[in-house]
Amino acid sequence: MKLNTASEVISFTKKLEEDSATLYKEFSRKFAQDKDVFLSFAKENEKNIIQVERAYYGVISDAIEGCFAFNINPEKYSFNTELAEKDSYSKALNKAIEIEEKIIKFYSDAVEQSKSFLADIPRAFKMIAKKRENNRRIELKSLLSKEE
Amino acid sequence: MAILEEPIKEVEKLKNYVNGEWVESKSDEILDIINPATQKVISKVPMSTPDEVNEAITAAKEAYPEWRTTTPLARVRCLFRLKELLEENFEQLSRVQTQEHGKTIDESRGETRRGIEMVEVGTGIPSLMMGYNLEDIATGIDEYVIYQPLGVFGHIAPFNFPFMVPLWFSPFAMATGNTFVVKPSPRDPISQVKLAELVDEAGIPPGVYNVVHGGVDTASIFMEHPDIKGITFVGSTKVGKDIYKKCGETGKRVIAQTSAKNFMVVMPDADIAATIPALMTSFFGNTGQRCLSGANLVIVGKDDTSYNKVLDAFVDTASKIRVGYGLDESIQMGPMQSIDGKERVLGYIEKGIAEGAKLLLDGRTPTIIGDYPETCFVNPTVFSDVTPNMTIAKEEIFGPVASVMRVKDLDEAIETANGSNFGNANAIFTSSGKAAREFQYRIETGNVGINIGIVAPMAFFPFSGMKDSFFGVLHGQGKDVIRFFTESKVVIQRWL
Repeated sequence: MKLNTASEVISFTKKLEEDSATLYKEFSRKFAQDKDVFLSFAKENEKNIIQVERAYYGVISDAIEGCFAFNINPEKYSFNTELAEKDSYSKALNKAIEIEEKIIKFYSDAVEQSKSFLADIPRAFKMIAKKRENNRRIELKSLLSKEE
Repeated sequence: MAILEEPIKEVEKLKNYVNGEWVESKSDEILDIINPATQKVISKVPMSTPDEVNEAITAAKEAYPEWRTTTPLARVRCLFRLKELLEENFEQLSRVQTQEHGKTIDESRGETRRGIEMVEVGTGIPSLMMGYNLEDIATGIDEYVIYQPLGVFGHIAPFNFPFMVPLWFSPFAMATGNTFVVKPSPRDPISQVKLAELVDEAGIPPGVYNVVHGGVDTASIFMEHPDIKGITFVGSTKVGKDIYKKCGETGKRVIAQTSAKNFMVVMPDADIAATIPALMTSFFGNTGQRCLSGANLVIVGKDDTSYNKVLDAFVDTASKIRVGYGLDESIQMGPMQSIDGKERVLGYIEKGIAEGAKLLLDGRTPTIIGDYPETCFVNPTVFSDVTPNMTIAKEEIFGPVASVMRVKDLDEAIETANGSNFGNANAIFTSSGKAAREFQYRIETGNVGINIGIVAPMAFFPFSGMKDSFFGVLHGQGKDVIRFFTESKVVIQRWL
């Protein structure tokens, strides 16, 4: 089922960020050599939730297109956070990069769909996508290149 | 999608909030408050006795002298505390609105946000209430204006925005030094009770803000009571006109924001992808139960292809709207607030058919997401081939019914809209600045939208209205409402 309302999309965003945080907490346990990096990612996930919710609760209005702003297919962006015990560090990093790209795609699609309707919410989405694209993805790739 | 937790779990009889106390009504006339989606009784509301209404007004009158001499800074500090409490209770307040009214959770949260914005703007009273002066109107003589509060104001609230509408007025009334008595709608008064709990917690002194439950009889006491200086009302034109007349006889100030029949004009050059969601919000948001709702969709142009493109997209999107209980986040439209409301809408659909309009989308047999009784539900309904003289084009339906008209050009669109008795909120969708300017210039409506489907003025602008959509001089919100709640006292001074 597609997500159309702002509240659905905010709940879905929260779930993505929580799942992502779960993944990085697991990384920090399993790949202790880069524990601090992964814990900082998990912390950033929590901040992203706050940022998105703040934008939503601050801008939601009875007069904007809150119930008609999106047409998101959540299946396109869902991911599995489980790591097999035998997975190598490089395999896990590749998985993380793939997940990051999915999340970036979600935020970018959500921006495109809602930018005419929801003011601060797409702006918050855009900032998070940019942060992931410019920082987190690059950092993961750098860890991967060191590993390889 | 899971249903969000309902905040109201037990049926309680609501109390009046008078002079800082929660007072049980002695009335034996008690109405059920019904969740329109589930049809469960969620609360009970008394129709207060005349003595109880008078006690609330007396409490407000007695609180006035001390509150009026409380400094504006001290008064707005109470509002700052209230604002913080509203933020802390944001989600609960929103869910209460969905439970008692039926609107979607996005709409309820939007309503809560709008209400809070009124409090925020009200905190600017030390600046907003300043008068003005001129030295030397004659040699050695200065003249200045002071804005002073007047006393007790009454508010008669509507059912469609049970939380927000009283806040269009109360923060400004209190911040300017007046005292206030609210009569919530007996259909959905719970969010006003929750608000009063926060007013109490914010430390607003006893008697400054009072809530008294009731119906028409309570409103009549407000209108006739000598200690009430003015009334604010949001509701139907019939009642608004009556209030305006009665208050004229008793010398009270009035803001009466009343019914509407809003025209959404779509030009051939409109961006359809952006226009359709705006039209959905306009026509079907709050289940069409708002004075800013689109009612008549006027598609401009002689070309069949562009007409059909707009109409098909409109009907197709409307047919896919998810209707159900608003505490499910995926729901885009809730039920009508009451059975009476639904029956009124069904009556208008019958009239539309009888008068020859073409029923393109029939919402009479609702499709509902989830297992809920059909009692108050109506799905989006669209008529085409509507002409301006049809009942469904002229009268306020106050439900999810769109009447589509076709006109040849902008002139005809403006003339058609201006032919309405109402003048609340008309909008144009176009990519032409010239057409938009022409529309803005000539359209006879208080609020004008340009590529905006719900023309809801922000708290710092007046909520305007014309013709049969407004009775009074000064409007709610913005600088207008500050003037409404204050008297201009002019001082001319010469020191010899």
